[in-house]
Amino acid sequence: MTTDTLHPLAAEYLERLRRAGRRLPPGRRRELLAEIEGHLSEAIDPSASDAQALTVLEKLGEPEAIIAAEMPPPEELLAGRGTKEWAAIILILFGGFIFGLGWVAGLVLLWSSRAWTALDKWIGTLVVPGGLATGAFVGLFLLGAPTKRFCYGIAGGAQNCTNTPGQSSVPTILGIAALALLVLAPIATSVYLARRAA
Amino acid sequence: MAAKIRETAMSQLRRGVLEFCVLALLREGERYSYELVRALGDAEGLVTTEGTLYPLLGRLRREGVVETTWRESPSGPPRRYYRLTPDGRAALGGFMIEWTRFRDSVDALLGNGVLR
Repeated sequence: MTTDTLHPLAAEYLERLRRAGRRLPPGRRRELLAEIEGHLSEAIDPSASDAQALTVLEKLGEPEAIIAAEMPPPEELLAGRGTKEWAAIILILFGGFIFGLGWVAGLVLLWSSRAWTALDKWIGTLVVPGGLATGAFVGLFLLGAPTKRFCYGIAGGAQNCTNTPGQSSVPTILGIAALALLVLAPIATSVYLARRAA
Repeated sequence: MAAKIRETAMSQLRRGVLEFCVLALLREGERYSYELVRALGDAEGLVTTEGTLYPLLGRLRREGVVETTWRESPSGPPRRYYRLTPDGRAALGGFMIEWTRFRDSVDALLGNGVLR
């Protein structure tokens, strides 16, 4: 942002608009701010008097009123999540069960959609890779582990292996907590993506 | 009370016609957002707050009646240039016919504007 080339009152106005617009879908917020910043920089010379600046700002109207005009009605917010966005969310959550391929397809949809910002897309990708399937496989492994040898250590380096018939070597509480996290995190991500899409 | 009823009616009327005023401004060629907003803001009684025109421009983009390109400006941040799409031109043509009919009917009912 080039707010340093704006009149101080114009910069303050833009900041108020930025704050008032926090609840807008990110794409719409960005575009609106860019347009208003253009308006301010054209209409108010950085060296203009405060009175001149205030006249322009008054014609522009309250930042809150501009945000209210930009705010999509609730039904449009839902419509913003088109079939593609819902498919992306569902595939990222459950697609891992289809040999992991469904999850990859979900990623393709996620990254090609214009409903999310880059940050949203990284969250969708990294929390948690594989979606719910990852938690399910880890859970199966933990449940199936008791009669098997359990190894830990650095890959390719020295490994400690223990035989633990009937009892997992991973502390149970820790295992359950990790598993709960692996199940809850992808669900939280899906909710987040659904809310951010617009 | 009478003032409130009139103000509500006027704001609904403005909302209805403003987007076609934007399309009409683009009839002769492209313009950037600030030019559009100033042209509308300078027209008597058409716009109360210039800032709310930007959300309107956004809606026109999403409706596909205008398309835009960002270009560097000689001074300040880049400018967004708007131009009509074929859909926008058709929408404007249709509205111009409807509007003439609407205006003539209202004028006829209102008479010569003198209240007796």
